[in-house]
Amino acid sequence: MKAIIFILTLISSTVFANDDKYTEVMSKNIDAIYNAKTVDEYQQAINSFERIGNAEKSKWEPFYYASFGYLMMATREKDGGKKDQLLDMAAASLDKAKAIKDNESEIVALEGFVHMIRLTVDPATRGPKYSGMAMQSFGKAIGLNPENPRALVFMAQMQYGTAEFFKSPTTEACATLAKSLEKFATFKADNPLAPQWGRGVAEGMKEQCK
Amino acid sequence: MKTRFTGLFILFTISLFGQTKISGIVKDEKGEPIPGANIFIQDSYDGVSSDMEGNFSFISDEKGDKILVATFVGYKQFQQSVELNGQPLVIHIQLKEEINQLDAVVISAGSFTAGEEKRRTILKAVDIATTAGATADIAGALNTLPGTTKVGESGRLFVRGGDSNEARTFIDGMVVLDAYGPSAPNTPSRGRFLPFMFKGTSFSTGGYSAEYGQALSSALVLNSKDKAEMNQTDIGILSVGTDAAHTQVWNRSSLSGKLQYTNIRPYFGLINQRVDWKTAPASLEGSAAYRAQVGKDGVLKFFGNFNHSDFSMYNHEILDPTIKHQFDLNNNYRYGNGTYQQSLNKNWSVRGGLSYTFNQNDAKQDGTPLGDTEKGIHAKAVLENTISDKVEVRFGGELIDRNYSASRQNENSGALESLSFHESIAASFVEAELYANKHFVTKIGGRTEYDGLIDKFSVDPRLSLAYKPGSNGQFSFAYGTFRQSAKNQYVMLNNNLTPEKAEHFILNYQIINDRRTFRVETYYKKYNQLVKFQNGDPQLLTNLGTGYAKGVELFWRDNQTLKNVDYWISYSFLDTKRNYLDFPTAATPSFASKHNISFVYKHFITAWKSQLGFTYSYGSGRPYYNPNNSSDHFNSDKTPSYQDLSANVAYLPKSNLILYVSCTNLLGHNNIFGYQYSSQPNASGEYVSRAVRQPAPRFLFVGVFITITKNKSVNQLPNL
Repeated sequence: MKAIIFILTLISSTVFANDDKYTEVMSKNIDAIYNAKTVDEYQQAINSFERIGNAEKSKWEPFYYASFGYLMMATREKDGGKKDQLLDMAAASLDKAKAIKDNESEIVALEGFVHMIRLTVDPATRGPKYSGMAMQSFGKAIGLNPENPRALVFMAQMQYGTAEFFKSPTTEACATLAKSLEKFATFKADNPLAPQWGRGVAEGMKEQCK
Repeated sequence: MKTRFTGLFILFTISLFGQTKISGIVKDEKGEPIPGANIFIQDSYDGVSSDMEGNFSFISDEKGDKILVATFVGYKQFQQSVELNGQPLVIHIQLKEEINQLDAVVISAGSFTAGEEKRRTILKAVDIATTAGATADIAGALNTLPGTTKVGESGRLFVRGGDSNEARTFIDGMVVLDAYGPSAPNTPSRGRFLPFMFKGTSFSTGGYSAEYGQALSSALVLNSKDKAEMNQTDIGILSVGTDAAHTQVWNRSSLSGKLQYTNIRPYFGLINQRVDWKTAPASLEGSAAYRAQVGKDGVLKFFGNFNHSDFSMYNHEILDPTIKHQFDLNNNYRYGNGTYQQSLNKNWSVRGGLSYTFNQNDAKQDGTPLGDTEKGIHAKAVLENTISDKVEVRFGGELIDRNYSASRQNENSGALESLSFHESIAASFVEAELYANKHFVTKIGGRTEYDGLIDKFSVDPRLSLAYKPGSNGQFSFAYGTFRQSAKNQYVMLNNNLTPEKAEHFILNYQIINDRRTFRVETYYKKYNQLVKFQNGDPQLLTNLGTGYAKGVELFWRDNQTLKNVDYWISYSFLDTKRNYLDFPTAATPSFASKHNISFVYKHFITAWKSQLGFTYSYGSGRPYYNPNNSSDHFNSDKTPSYQDLSANVAYLPKSNLILYVSCTNLLGHNNIFGYQYSSQPNASGEYVSRAVRQPAPRFLFVGVFITITKNKSVNQLPNL
């Protein structure tokens, strides 16, 4: 009997150990990707996320962060063709994350971010299509989780851009931004690996809404 | 005690030997190191990225037979079985380049591809809609590209010395039997399909794929949009009518419908026209599109439209203009197609469809009825197999079955005389695309056709090659033979006419550098088996006609040098002669002009929230025959040159509202397309001429477009 309990404890502890290992390795790499500065540092962290994702198979976070990494590389890339290639990689990773967890607000918000960066490659031709798609993703992400500050801040940016173009009041955009800032201050995810980034974007936008 | 100790010891040593060091280097096929590659043991966390010199080294806790994987963007995944037993492993990895990359060579001879997704396309779908002078007509916009000749009184596409019927339109691979709306004689017709329906366009001026048959000179392949993403309602109030459209979106499907009423009568009431209209044209058109995702990766599309248009006009005799003849036309048109595509597995995919065209003209010449009806179906199935990233094979079969009949009441007897034919063409094609590497590709294929009407079987080979020495510029070559049934009006008279035949040779150089494109193309086209009148008798038809066309074309597009400015220039030189129909000798047909130039300029002015566009077109004089000269002067006279400067402005005062104004021929250039001659000489023995001109010097168009969605930033700009 004692032996059985012992074995059970052993099994459960190894299970915990695996999950701990997942959380530990992920945390380390999430830190790495938030602090990455060079293409090399991004690629290293992305590679780690891809390894973890391929081994775990049931966790969406590794693919989410791999996608985030490619997206960050895309924002730093000047050449349109290469930018598109990196965005394709970001989208492919997001598709893997989506296949694991459908209707996750963070994934949908990041998808909107991919559309937003795609738009910047060729605003004249892509504008109408991708601005609609980005707005729709941000709207859906907010619908899935009204507390998601990242979805809110990007929605605010899109609204601001539209208002500025048509020289209409930016009140709606600034109200969304205020909501986003509030959520950044208060929102606490129960998942230790949940995305934390984006506050800087919101803080930076404050100036425009003064 | 002893056994327990041994057990512990074994455990200890296993974990000690359980760690295996794996190191090595990652290189490409040329032996260059690849930094940043991901090297890892499958299904484990163990792995590392290669350093700047391509070196890697890591320690794995895994044991036994495992798979080592290496990946890097743009390269094929590398896999190797390894045994992890504590012995250090040194592995040299060579990654092979993947060919389906943005920088791989593509066949560009003869074709202009417009898509919104790929950056490296020459023309985007939205460009077609925003070209000044085209008034949102697909053919109008394509007429600014090299290889086309402006034939102002027709409005259709004339490609490389070919007649307008030699350019065929396909929607999602399915043939459209009559792609243009009806128009009065010598007034331009418009395409039946609006540019905003399509996400991509491939306009080929020669050497196209074996998949497309029954087209002598050009294949215009339009790919319709996929499932819509959001609900929206669009309303347009135009100077020539009104339209309303609505799109409803569900999770896996979408349905769009559009109703359009065009009535040019009020406009013609204001602006004097050279055409003597009894009742100017009016039309009612409706279209619907349904798209659905089926299963994991099946796509189902349905599209249908109907159109009714009518007009009534007077034709004045040339010799005595006070004698006029009334001509009435009622046209009914229906087109529908359904297509389905599905990936069967990683390598195989299948697509197929069915299309139906119905086109009926009921006319009256001085009250005497005449008319024609064409009905046709097209069924097609295509299988595609991606054998590897270097080899792709495509094959399929199709059936084009059509009925044509024309009738006319005999003025004397009052009896209805009619002629008709039923033609059934069964075709099959096969094509393989072979990549030697990312610099060199060959496309080889062929098409067989069995024509039931003449009971004849034919084979047409196609071949294209492309070579890309560097990262931007590339050379292409294309060759093929093409055939197409003669025009309905001739087949109806002689059911034994064999299809007309053309042979294309094309050489192309193209360089795309970021947002600048330069392209030069030269070609030679040989015509055979053209319809020819025997002894000049239009009732006695043979296939003895021949002809050729050759030319050089240049294209330059720059969307980079000037901010918010996009412009392109195209130039076509055409040398063509034919001896067909009633031609007494080989001569240049009246639709061909030697030099054609287009300059298209688009400027987005942010401060004005407006897009401005200008298009300047020039076409050198076109030949015509003056019957007052002897027949050895056939088509040796030339009209003055054609010139047109058109402009448009799209103004966006609010995000969901667009005001659009366009005007053709701002400078009011007096364009003469040709001369008609009286059928009989006048009293002094001369044939009297009348110039064929534009119905009015300018065409002014004003429209207001409103879009209603939940998302206020959406507008109809991409539709204009």
